[in-house]
Amino acid sequence: MTDLISLKGVQKYYGDYHALRDIDLTIRGGEFFSLLGPSGCGKTTLLRVIAGFEEVSDGTVVLSGRDMKGVPPNERPTNMVFQSYAIFPHLSVAQNVAFGLRKRKDIDKASRKSLVEEALKMVGLAGYGDRRAHALSGGQRQRVALARALVLKPKVLLLDEPMSALDRKMREHMQVELIRLQRHVGITFVLVTHDQEEALVMSDRIAVMFEGEIGQVDEPEALYRRPKSRRVAEFIGKMNFLPARVTGIGPGATPVARPAAQDEVVPGRIPQSRAAVKLSGLMRRGGEPAADTPATPGEAMISLDIAGLGQAQVPMHQAPEGAREGEVAVGVRPETLAILFEGDQAPRHECPGTVDEVVYYGDMTYYDVRVKDVPQPLTIAMKNLMGRPVLEVGQSCRIGWDDRALVVF
Amino acid sequence: MSLRVYAIAYLIFLYAPIVLLPIFAFNDATIIAFPLSGVTTEWFGALVGNRSLQSALVNSLIIAGCTAVFATLLGICAARAGAMADYPGKRGITGFVMLPLVLPEIIVAVSLLVILRQVLGLDLGNWTIILAHVLICTPFSIAILNGAFGNLDPSMEEAALDLGCSRWEAFRLVTLPLVMPGIISSLLISFTISLDEFIIAFFLTGANPTLPVYIWGLLRFPAQLPIVMALGTILVGLSIILLTIAEIFRRRGITRSGGQDTGGFL
Repeated sequence: MTDLISLKGVQKYYGDYHALRDIDLTIRGGEFFSLLGPSGCGKTTLLRVIAGFEEVSDGTVVLSGRDMKGVPPNERPTNMVFQSYAIFPHLSVAQNVAFGLRKRKDIDKASRKSLVEEALKMVGLAGYGDRRAHALSGGQRQRVALARALVLKPKVLLLDEPMSALDRKMREHMQVELIRLQRHVGITFVLVTHDQEEALVMSDRIAVMFEGEIGQVDEPEALYRRPKSRRVAEFIGKMNFLPARVTGIGPGATPVARPAAQDEVVPGRIPQSRAAVKLSGLMRRGGEPAADTPATPGEAMISLDIAGLGQAQVPMHQAPEGAREGEVAVGVRPETLAILFEGDQAPRHECPGTVDEVVYYGDMTYYDVRVKDVPQPLTIAMKNLMGRPVLEVGQSCRIGWDDRALVVF
Repeated sequence: MSLRVYAIAYLIFLYAPIVLLPIFAFNDATIIAFPLSGVTTEWFGALVGNRSLQSALVNSLIIAGCTAVFATLLGICAARAGAMADYPGKRGITGFVMLPLVLPEIIVAVSLLVILRQVLGLDLGNWTIILAHVLICTPFSIAILNGAFGNLDPSMEEAALDLGCSRWEAFRLVTLPLVMPGIISSLLISFTISLDEFIIAFFLTGANPTLPVYIWGLLRFPAQLPIVMALGTILVGLSIILLTIAEIFRRRGITRSGGQDTGGFL
């Protein structure tokens, strides 16, 4: 795939407010790309920069090989689905869809009509052409907005929080439909959303943004499993964080020299009673490839001593540079921890704990479990499988964990 | 119960004088007093043959028409700037533009007279009245159009740009049709205000009086009083019709742009 959108060193200031900070980003042709972040992170501004509604303060925006400096929105190969859909209320559905076509001199009236019908059919609104905009539901408005943009066959379709006005059921339905539509038309979609679930479900790749900066660009699975920073991990899904110390890097690892007093004086992180750091066996345990986070053969492993949990080995690529020595944080997703019930397979590691809180979701139960020497209770997500009881607060239990599911920060 | 009594008393106070107008317009007597002596349309007939009255009416219509157009054009510019753009001191400027709304007309009239006659040494005529009427009508126009532009989703015009329109086309094809009810409402209300306005017209009128000024002149002749009543009846009827149409358009504009009714003049 070729780079269709390329942003280099893009800066945007509103007065003193630095809305976009040195954005470098490439989006490939045919990709479903999402800009994900909390409100005010600059994701919509970035979308509007691509659309041409905002001029960049510095940096370049290149769309399909052409520098977009000074190119107004009506001359860019992009079309947009607005958050409010912006369906023209004084026009019928068909007139809305035909609105952009009237500027195309190469399309005569008859083919314009058939293009409009084709576009309405594509979004499932065949026969709605004569309706007025105010007679449409939220989902139908969104479809009209999609048809109105897609009928122009843009190189890029920009979607600004298109699901935020829909109720939950409709939203889930439209997510699936939008993916199908994107596959069908093959146009690059750039979606802005604050809903991490939506981004994970729909995107080929996601850029996570914070405070005008891009935190990480990755495929959904990589973003979820190997977040490169703690704030990405915190924003996407739930994650438990535990204090830990790197004890060595292997195989054939050299022990990390440990400053004498350091492990005793970090308040609130690692209790003093914690067992002394040992250089554990630096070989990968077991022969099987790690299911969650496969270490490439021969890849170095980082040995850690985690507060409350003890020794663990994590493949090098799970730990970004800068988190490979000294005091680190270990992240573990609630669903990669397990409360052990009778008959469960023996986990790689286990430790005792006490149930602190139970949140029952029907299909899932979320437990907060206190583990000795772990500062915060661990959140554990358990599927409510047939015959599996729901534990009560105060019950003691055993927790299973797997060092292949750990991420180091 | 007491609230109902109050409401009825209030309505009588408000509308009794207006109700008296048509009653005496059809009364067959030159003296404005009860008891009524019979029904006649003589006074309305007298209106038709009156040359100077017709010239005053034509004058007033010209002034009101020009005032409505100019005030609305200014209102469109101000309201659009207020709704779409953000500029330093926006609140202060908006407030300043709205000020003539609460300025006593007599002050406006006297100061304009001084400026036009004494300072600039210009002759009075219809255009001086138009100038002054634009001054007092523009705030009304802005107030109405602010509602129309404020209810407009800013994405509408951006969507038009995105779909290939130039800025002017986006305004003409999308914004203008959406605020058109507000524009019509503004035209009608400005027209009505200008048509009924007396104080400024009285001060600034040249050789040809406007209709209200002409009516005031008639009052010096008691025998003409029923004719004034008849004329007043027509004017009240016309005003009510125009304001109703204006309000219908204003409300239609709000439904069309999908906004909330934030109040109007009626």
